Amino acid sequence: MSELPWKYSWKQPCPDLSAIGGETMKAKMILVTLMICLMPLSYAFPQDNKTIEGEIGFTGVWFDLHAKEGGKAKFTEYRDLREDGAVFGRARLNLDTDKYFLNFDLGDFAYDTQYYTVDGGMWGKFKFGLFYDEIPHNITFDARTPFLGAGHDLLVGAPNPNFPLWNTFDYSILRRQYGGGFKVDVIRPFFLDFSFERENRDGIKPTGAAETSPGGRAFELPEPVEYVTNNLKVSAGYSKKPLFLSLNYIHSDFNNSNTSLGLPPNFNAPNAFSLPPDNTYDKGAFKGAVSLPFNSRFSTNVGFARGRSETSVVSLIGSGYTGKVDNVNYDFMLTSNPVRFLDIKAYYKYYKRFNKSDDPTGIADIFLNYNISTYGGELGFRLPAQFYLSGGYKYVKTERTKKGEDDAAEILPFNMDNILFVDLKWSGLDFLEARVGYENLDRDAHYRTLQSAQNLSKRFSYAAQNKNTVKAAVDLFPLENLNFGLEYRYKKIGYSDTLFGLRNTLFGLRSDKRHELDISADYRIGKIAKVYGYGDYGWIKFNQMQSAGGLPWEGEQWDKTWGYGIGAEFYVIPKKLTLIFQHDYVKSNGTVDFTLLNGLFGAGGLPAFPAANQDNIDITRWDDYTLYSFSLRAVYNFTKSLTAMVGYAYERFWYSDAQLNNYLFAPAGGTNAAFLTGAYKDQSYRANLVFGGVSFKF
Amino acid sequence: MQRKILFFLSILFFTLSFVFSLVLIAQSKVEGESGFVGSEACKDCHEGQYNKFVKSVHGKKAVPGNPANRDGCESCHGPGAQHVEKGGGRGVAIFVFSKKESSTARDAKCLGCHQDMRGVVNWNISKHKSFLVTCDNCHSIHSPVPGKSYLWAQEPDLCFGCHRNIRAQFNKQSHHPIKEEFVGRQALKCSSCHNPMGTFDIKTMIKADSVNDLCYRCHAEKRGPYAFEHPPVPENCLYCHEVHGSNHSRLLTRKVPLLCESCHNTGGHPSRPYTNLHSFLGPATSNKNRFFARGCLNCHGNIHGSSLAPTFQR
Repeated sequence: MSELPWKYSWKQPCPDLSAIGGETMKAKMILVTLMICLMPLSYAFPQDNKTIEGEIGFTGVWFDLHAKEGGKAKFTEYRDLREDGAVFGRARLNLDTDKYFLNFDLGDFAYDTQYYTVDGGMWGKFKFGLFYDEIPHNITFDARTPFLGAGHDLLVGAPNPNFPLWNTFDYSILRRQYGGGFKVDVIRPFFLDFSFERENRDGIKPTGAAETSPGGRAFELPEPVEYVTNNLKVSAGYSKKPLFLSLNYIHSDFNNSNTSLGLPPNFNAPNAFSLPPDNTYDKGAFKGAVSLPFNSRFSTNVGFARGRSETSVVSLIGSGYTGKVDNVNYDFMLTSNPVRFLDIKAYYKYYKRFNKSDDPTGIADIFLNYNISTYGGELGFRLPAQFYLSGGYKYVKTERTKKGEDDAAEILPFNMDNILFVDLKWSGLDFLEARVGYENLDRDAHYRTLQSAQNLSKRFSYAAQNKNTVKAAVDLFPLENLNFGLEYRYKKIGYSDTLFGLRNTLFGLRSDKRHELDISADYRIGKIAKVYGYGDYGWIKFNQMQSAGGLPWEGEQWDKTWGYGIGAEFYVIPKKLTLIFQHDYVKSNGTVDFTLLNGLFGAGGLPAFPAANQDNIDITRWDDYTLYSFSLRAVYNFTKSLTAMVGYAYERFWYSDAQLNNYLFAPAGGTNAAFLTGAYKDQSYRANLVFGGVSFKF
Repeated sequence: MQRKILFFLSILFFTLSFVFSLVLIAQSKVEGESGFVGSEACKDCHEGQYNKFVKSVHGKKAVPGNPANRDGCESCHGPGAQHVEKGGGRGVAIFVFSKKESSTARDAKCLGCHQDMRGVVNWNISKHKSFLVTCDNCHSIHSPVPGKSYLWAQEPDLCFGCHRNIRAQFNKQSHHPIKEEFVGRQALKCSSCHNPMGTFDIKTMIKADSVNDLCYRCHAEKRGPYAFEHPPVPENCLYCHEVHGSNHSRLLTRKVPLLCESCHNTGGHPSRPYTNLHSFLGPATSNKNRFFARGCLNCHGNIHGSSLAPTFQR
């Protein structure tokens, strides 16, 4: 019951949630009742070698948070800390005999991170499991909208720029998952696995619509989320060397309580915003493997899947659309280790998406189909002096077609990828292991119409490219209690499409270059302490060129991210008192350097030169942030059973971004006007946390 | 004469080889039969390990083929008689899971029993195997952390031990909830999406036939099929999303509008440069509402697919 205030807070005015809450509450009650009923069973277990152990504990957290709406949500992004304090409980019970086992694990009772699990069975015969768990995803609290009905499927009211009077709501989604399953091994070598789970997702997420299209005022809107997804899996087969055979079936259905979001009357027709349609997905697959002579094995995976959707909202535009997509997948793989020094792998994969959706009126008649054929091989050689050399080749052909597509310039290309890679590993010393690797991807784009080949705009996901990746890593273990690792990666993608042989004439993404350096180390100082740390540096640069009405401009984006973490455990009084310290830091600095060419200043709404110049158009705040956290804990074992813990933590998140700084809910006017809700606004926060708890083991 | 000598030598060679083989087989049988000392003998020196073994699933006699039903400790470590005779010591006349043994030999010890487990059936395909990662690199029989998989450390820390760049990505501000504190039970683990034992996706070892099939398991609302499809969406989520972690909200590989402009360069507003001057207080006079807040998504909210509008505005 304690979750009710939270649950009601994200909707306004308060609707009837009994159906949602009732269903998951019922599941939770069933699970808890089942646990209570099963507990006495433990005493019915045979007495030989029976082990009963468990733990019960509570952790209290009190915090002082300094944040605005976005920061409050960011601080609790995946946790339930909305009040000034919270007390989280946990209980665990494990029963174990020579023949049976039964485990209970439950925690965070009554919070939005609560979880309850039971699993048990007979060793070697069967296993079963039941679970219930929740997790929130908080985006922004106290967001605003000029409309009434946030969280429902109808927004009413006329927008006005007087945002202090707007209605507030929370952008937040809560996932509740529950289900169970069993695995039967008693009929070995035959087996049977079954599982079922249901997920309820409830809340509000941000979306947006324009009043007219193209152009017009922009409206950020609260999209209601009331989803139920059921997933069923059955797998049966035979597994005994040299043969493995299995038949698998998956059924998944997704149900959305809201088919559309009704928009206020001043929106152009259709006066609604479509929401994800109900859909079902069924998949059957055969997986098999057989051992062959020369230490070889042939494996296969053949599957067929069909997805369907029901889009009743389309009736608004008079279409009888029915969604149907078939997926076919074949995998064949041969691996062999004919002699000690040689590993061989050869494979073929075919994946097809065939959109069979039907749209009698032709309104929605552009459906994507694609086939991906992949084949390749790898060789690995165990060389003298503990060298291992491996390498391979892979060819991927992707064919895309769009049913109903009639724009010759927009016909999607086929891609042919040639991938070559080589890796060398050396483990010749007990205290050192080193690896280097290189991979080259050469993608060719085959444009199937002259118009699509000549189209200056090349979409990076389909464009020809050459990607080179180099990586090197060293792991050092100079002492038994000291480990050190270092890894470096370099990646460069050049989008190499050209127009009539002229380079740099295409528009879109042109290059993507990255450096990554990561280190980590840990050291144990006898029985006194353990220290550990890591450091990361990442550098990403994108270059893209566009043409606004024939006037080209170039944008270069940089993301520089670096971070480190250090931690230590001090065994002040061995087995009695331990001090644990942890500090983490991440900083990211993003920029965009624009270069406008050929007198673009003054075009497209930009101020004319010199009011706008090459310096003041650049973006210096581009998802810049600093994450800083520090914690210190003391853990004291009064006895082998009773443990207490007390600690302090400080967390800080600083965020600055050109798109969100100086946020205005109703900025500009005319066709630039927008009615925004505050999604992702003011995400910075700082918080002091004090926590403590006790746990009792038995 | 020369041919006779060759013939004689050949006969002699094969006879000697045969006799030598018989001697070796006989000797190994004698050693095999007499080389086992029993788990109780191991307990004398390795009581800690023995106690953990007995409590572990390997110690359960109810499980057919378990070490408890065979040679106990020696099921994995081999006969211990010589080890005992020589006074013990790590790796002295006994098999231990250390770098001194080849990856093949170490894996063979585990696969000798586990080869029929359905989770391990694709180990021959696994990228981990190709990189000579062995079972004991991740699993510990004697010193595991609590859990059902007998791992050296909990996920994701175990995985981050080698995949340091992935750790760096998860430390970024936008990430899947894989390492959150105060979340009682981990909502996600690396193994929620990847099977480290191998899948048919050799490189990434994802638990699905395609990236999208995997993502749709948790994000079923994106599955459609939609009346109006945004072509990159049903093909590969990774065109726009950095799945492990990103500096940009919603796990985007790049920030909107520049991400969208990486493909869209048609006439009108998609091709405009949206610069710092289009920010909330910037002096740009038009196209501003395509830049601030969520950029293109201010209007094109249904970017994953729509039932109403080919421009994804409804």
